[in-house]
Amino acid sequence: MAKIQLVYFQVRGRGESIRTLMVDNNVDYEEVDCGPNWVQEWKPKMAFGQSPFFKDGDVEIVQSNAILRYLARKLDLYGSNNKEATRADMINDGAEDLRIEYTRMIYQNYEDGKGPFIEKLPGKLQCFENLMKGGDYVLGSKVCFTDYNLFDLLDCLVTLSPPCLDAFPSLKAYHNRMMNRPGVQKRRATEHFKGIKINGNGKQ
Amino acid sequence: MVDNNVDYEEVDCGPWENWKKNWKSKMAFGQCPYVKDGDVEVVQSNAILRYLARKLDLYGSNNKEATRADMINDGVEDLRKEYLRMIYQNYEEGKGPFIEELPGKLKYFENLMKGGDYILGSKICFTDYNLFDLLDCLVTLSSPCLDAFPTLKAYYDRMMNRPGVQKRRATEHFKGLKINGNGKQ
Repeated sequence: MAKIQLVYFQVRGRGESIRTLMVDNNVDYEEVDCGPNWVQEWKPKMAFGQSPFFKDGDVEIVQSNAILRYLARKLDLYGSNNKEATRADMINDGAEDLRIEYTRMIYQNYEDGKGPFIEKLPGKLQCFENLMKGGDYVLGSKVCFTDYNLFDLLDCLVTLSPPCLDAFPSLKAYHNRMMNRPGVQKRRATEHFKGIKINGNGKQ
Repeated sequence: MVDNNVDYEEVDCGPWENWKKNWKSKMAFGQCPYVKDGDVEVVQSNAILRYLARKLDLYGSNNKEATRADMINDGVEDLRKEYLRMIYQNYEEGKGPFIEELPGKLKYFENLMKGGDYILGSKICFTDYNLFDLLDCLVTLSSPCLDAFPTLKAYYDRMMNRPGVQKRRATEHFKGLKINGNGKQ
């Protein structure tokens, strides 16, 4: 058994950024499906009744962003100083805010909410476009944990609305740059990745 | 900041017209709070908390402790979002159901907090200030909500009684502010 386990449903959801980070950084891990028996077997054991859940030796974590930050500290994916780490946090939290809105629309209001969500997207993406100008990644030349989360979010948004990055050249180039990382390509070539939906209800 | 003797200047970006005209467009996500410390400019309240945590040794002593702080802070953030959604979007009809569902949410924190004075045991961290503030909002909303949770109730009192927390709460500034912008609580 691998020392590291990721326990999650078999969707991209909040697990994919973690998976991509691990594959891109050569971290060996075991994927555990908590889908069957989630309510009876898994949910009662989870600190907030939710997954993903992550185990690395004696460290047990829930909350997807806590997992990303744990791996970031372990793998030097959190910048080189407080100023860089703070920029990573700030942009990750902005990505989290937009992910929450996206997820809410997907699960609670897809039919009526998809149109308005897409209409408001440019205003949200402009904030990221402004922040991402001038560097290859969130922290410039070196990738950090936020890049995996932001890339996954942009990927969900492009699936929802394929032209959504066309007006944002920095973001469009960034999405392509992340997509073309060998580790990201490696993850996306797996049968596992190809076999899972983005969201649990199949909407995207 | 007050509990850790950090000297700071409070800048009012309100009221609404002043915010829209002079501040919103300068903010990275069109939102506040915003903190400036020399050449570091930060938005996102939790990024600000983490910046201060790293600066002031309020982030535990190792990755395992930092991760516990993050995990619980993210749990606090989830509950805070639900609270704010009810407050700003659905107070009249949502207050009752929110209070009914609260015990199920507080139970998680009760379980996580057992066995230590603070989130990381004996030493305070950034998450304690966020969790304490959230519990304070919840107690204002529903005064008996911690009665069934002895660890949380003791924790809330312990935080309240910190001299730095008392110092903040004794200021005219604190006493003059509402909890939420629409006056609901």
